[in-house]
Amino acid sequence: MDVAAHPIEQHEAHDHIHPAPEGFIAKYVFSIDHKVIAIQYFVTGLLFMLIAGSFAELMRIQLWNPKGTFMEYHTFNQMFTMHGTVMVWLVLIPLVTGSLGNLVMPLQIGARDVAFPWLNMLSFWLIPVSGLILFSTFFVGAPSSGWTEYPPISLEQGPGGPLWCLAIIVVGISSTLTGLNFMVTIFKMRAPGMTWTRMPLFTWATFATALINMFATVALSAALLALFFAQVYNVPFFDPARGGSVILYQHMFWFYSHPAVYIFILPAFGVISEVLPTFARKTIFGYKMIAFSSLAIAILGFAVWAHHMFPGGIAPWLQIPFMIITYLIGIPTGIKIFSWMATIWGGRIQFTTPMLYAMAFIGTFSFGGITGVYLACVPVDLHEHGSYFVVAHFHYVVAGGAVTAFFAGFYYWFPKATGRLLSEKMGKVGFWLFMAGLTGTFLPMHWLGLEGMPRRYASYETFAKAFPDAVFWNRFESVSSFLMVAAIALVAVNIIYSIRSGRRAGNNPWGARTLEWMISSPAPYYNFKKIPIVLDRPYDFTQPLPYRNLDEVTDPYPVPSEAVLPRNAAGMGV
Amino acid sequence: MAVRSVARTTPYLEKVAVEARYNDVDPVYAETRDIRLFGFVLFLLADCVLFGAFVFAYLYLRTAAPTWPPVVDGKQLPRLDVAFGAMNSIVLFGSGVTMHFALESWKHLKKLAFNFWLVATILLGIGFLAGQAHEYMSAQMTWQGSTFGASFFTLTGLHGFHVFAGVCFLTVLGIQANRGVYTGSKYFGLVAGTLYWHFVDVIWVLLFFLFYLW
Repeated sequence: MDVAAHPIEQHEAHDHIHPAPEGFIAKYVFSIDHKVIAIQYFVTGLLFMLIAGSFAELMRIQLWNPKGTFMEYHTFNQMFTMHGTVMVWLVLIPLVTGSLGNLVMPLQIGARDVAFPWLNMLSFWLIPVSGLILFSTFFVGAPSSGWTEYPPISLEQGPGGPLWCLAIIVVGISSTLTGLNFMVTIFKMRAPGMTWTRMPLFTWATFATALINMFATVALSAALLALFFAQVYNVPFFDPARGGSVILYQHMFWFYSHPAVYIFILPAFGVISEVLPTFARKTIFGYKMIAFSSLAIAILGFAVWAHHMFPGGIAPWLQIPFMIITYLIGIPTGIKIFSWMATIWGGRIQFTTPMLYAMAFIGTFSFGGITGVYLACVPVDLHEHGSYFVVAHFHYVVAGGAVTAFFAGFYYWFPKATGRLLSEKMGKVGFWLFMAGLTGTFLPMHWLGLEGMPRRYASYETFAKAFPDAVFWNRFESVSSFLMVAAIALVAVNIIYSIRSGRRAGNNPWGARTLEWMISSPAPYYNFKKIPIVLDRPYDFTQPLPYRNLDEVTDPYPVPSEAVLPRNAAGMGV
Repeated sequence: MAVRSVARTTPYLEKVAVEARYNDVDPVYAETRDIRLFGFVLFLLADCVLFGAFVFAYLYLRTAAPTWPPVVDGKQLPRLDVAFGAMNSIVLFGSGVTMHFALESWKHLKKLAFNFWLVATILLGIGFLAGQAHEYMSAQMTWQGSTFGASFFTLTGLHGFHVFAGVCFLTVLGIQANRGVYTGSKYFGLVAGTLYWHFVDVIWVLLFFLFYLW
């Protein structure tokens, strides 16, 4: 069985590579190249993170004093509403699925691009449009009823509400199209020989995410369309006086928004599954279990939404099944956690920055996950739902889970996007700053919540009278939160420094084994000169690389010589 | 191990290469038409969720209501006119049949018949929209007045919007087909248009049952 004699080789003349576009606009602005689009997502996401982060810091300044005199209470309400909205839809989804998914997934499956590159460009450009619509609400009175926008309060807030709905519908369309695009890409464009069970685990996670993106996000668009009609045309979906129901909105909203947390945590799982075996120099433990548990989480995630609504008043007979299914999600998640620990166990661990983030993720995410299991329990949830305990829980999952894993992936794949390694020194300092900030900000929220500190309050004077230590812990949190700002600022400094004068990465700086590391960094426009043939899973470090045609997929890496080679910050557009 | 693995991939490669020769495209992406078809079907599935969410809202509100049709200002709303709705449905389903004939004519290279059936489809689609407009005008409830009205006008409005988009879609396809964009072996756009049109029909079956028959 000789591969070279195969028909596909004889047709090589047809296997042409399209030339890269010329000109700044086609190359960097309206690019259809998935790698450039990934960088666009990254830059946009980071900018929005700056804005949403400053909202959070303003809130922390407000909470410095229990009386809360820094800003008006109404402004505070707008701050937490916009902080949540921007962080969920314009930071996490673009960063985790948009940026990492676009950069890595097509390279990992040996494709030249995603299935519909133009659609991909559209998906990206809807994000800034949505951001513009969203921030325009500040001129007409930004919404102030929380990122969930529950009616009836959300029906009474002027033109900011409908604009908010429009903005999120636009993000929803972007997210749906990305999901569709990724799903088709993974189904149809894998390199020859890459069967489902040979697919890298990040691609598996992206696939599970795409499934949610496609089917849950449309439900969100429907919910917000209904809310839009209710706000603008006074349609009685959510008006009890005319037979409507406010609980209906919660059902429609959470049917998307619970799976939404899996939209950012599943790619995070994928990142961890790539980073750990690479830096433990050891085969991933339980490949199939990790792959299928991603799917299990995606599918179970559609059947747990009502656990957000226990205090809202759903029927008791409905609460119990939702509680049990929520517990069940702990099983696939636990399978992943233990598989990762078994992967590191006995490995030859290299403590690089991505590895530090990945190992920290196991701890911080498990912490947030376990408090999630507490909250799934109906009586506990009824007690804790409106308190800081919930805030602590989801920030541990989101900041300690999705963002931490995003940083792991960012440090891991930055060389593939730009051809330069990030500074390890700055990376490690940033890591410890971030972890200190994360713990200092969100850990005390657990006991504040258990004592009964209510969330979304602009002033906690009454609570502080009953629990005087609340003042200390709130100030502690406010100080710690600025450590996270410092960590993210350091990331920005690191990017600017490393693009100019970082070490050249070469094809495979980490000695990893997935396909994206088999080509030059930054990856050329066409990705693979010749599509490789995949023979096995990528993770077995004791075996030779499981690919054919490896010497033909990329140009030989030129000898790094700063004097001769032009400075190549390809794709960054800076 | 390696030998077995390549053997497993061989039928795949052959299929790709054969399709490439047949369609005269880049063999690595020989599946292009396949990709577009799959993407389009996924788009339709996602669209189902949009209708599904509003159908869920309708079922939720209907089962929670003490009477159906609901009582507004002390008077129960009348049921919808089934006879007229049925007539209008026949118009829409008829357009599905003519669309099928249009695609089959194209496959058999009968361009005149294709044009005839496509125009018939577009006209029937416009006829359905006119029927809907009449239905809206003569309706005895309002969008704002009751949950029945809210669900009815939102869902049939969304569906009507889809029919309108379909009429535009088919018109564009007709123009493209007559300008030689499609050939006897490459006519994915026509397949997509047909699928979309049948999809709109299927959604109407559900809506007709939910609003008129139930």
